[in-house]
Amino acid sequence: MNKELEHSFVELLEKHQNIVHKVCRLYTNNYDAHNDLFQEITIQLWKAYPKFRGDAKFSTWMYRVGLNTAITLYRKSKRTINTTQFDTVQFKIKAEDYDDTEEQQLKLLYSAVHQLNDIEKALVFLYLEDKNYKEISETMGITEVNARVKMNRVKTKLRTILNP
Amino acid sequence: MDELELLKKDWQKEDNNDFPVLSYKEIYKMILKKSSSIVKWIFIISLLELVFWLALSFIFKATSKNDQITDLESTTIFIVLSVISYAVLVYFFYRFYMNYKTINSTDNASTLMKNILKTRRTVKQYVFFNLGYLVISMAILFPYILDHDPKTKTIIESATANGDLFKFYSAMIVGTVLIVGIVIVILLLFYWLIYGILLKRLNHNYNELKKLEV
Repeated sequence: MNKELEHSFVELLEKHQNIVHKVCRLYTNNYDAHNDLFQEITIQLWKAYPKFRGDAKFSTWMYRVGLNTAITLYRKSKRTINTTQFDTVQFKIKAEDYDDTEEQQLKLLYSAVHQLNDIEKALVFLYLEDKNYKEISETMGITEVNARVKMNRVKTKLRTILNP
Repeated sequence: MDELELLKKDWQKEDNNDFPVLSYKEIYKMILKKSSSIVKWIFIISLLELVFWLALSFIFKATSKNDQITDLESTTIFIVLSVISYAVLVYFFYRFYMNYKTINSTDNASTLMKNILKTRRTVKQYVFFNLGYLVISMAILFPYILDHDPKTKTIIESATANGDLFKFYSAMIVGTVLIVGIVIVILLLFYWLIYGILLKRLNHNYNELKKLEV
């Protein structure tokens, strides 16, 4: 591969790496798994980069490849699954000593989001990134109506997890 | 929902990321590494598939030479079977390659999943073709071998003399069907296991995504 392309890609990714970290943050529960997924997303981004024409925003383009890797392409290692189970237990204990402070509430919210399935996490991710339903439906490849219905269900599910 | 809004506010804070910021050098090292994506695994398995069935046909040819039934190779039916198998092999190789090429990580999630699942369907068709081919060639070649192999001929003659001809034929047929059946079950189980493990999550996610879709 040509050096110039490598350089421009690494520079762009270095600048926008926060997006990849955020995807990893939603889909993994520990440091090793986070790095593993970050690595795979980086490879997928790099493989797709020659086709990136710059007609889309680099960050928007990253959302797609990042989420696609997390939901579809990435093969979870056993290690990750075990940790997920471990963390879920921890979340439940935390939920029992519920505290009204904002920080505590945020912790509970993050743990609730972690209990969603892969597709629901993707919807939440796009919602948190302030994407409208049109963009969400385009990224996921579903109709806008479906995106809305799904998002409402996710909200209900989160509410149920938070207030069992 | 108020809670999600609260989360959104926190999410969008620039400093909310508690993960170490990667340097240029660290990211550069990452792009040199090999992917371990599901697509790569499917591609490797598809290639192994082609190699496996090719090897099987070569082994069959090699052993048939030792069995003094080389003249079998010049029969029309054998030539027709070979031509069909090679044509199909080329066709599937092309399909595998095209499937692999259409998989694009910048497609929307639904299209990407659909394309990956399509590669699985191709592999399935290839497997079913090979199993069908195995059964049909056995059905054609079996009577031929019975008729032409000198060893079997002597056995048949002595069986006819003893009046055990029916017993001999039924034993041969049951034995062959049983062996072919066992081979097919083992192969199907093997594919079911490999693809089951590899694509379980993808299938689940695809169904989840397509739920409610008209």
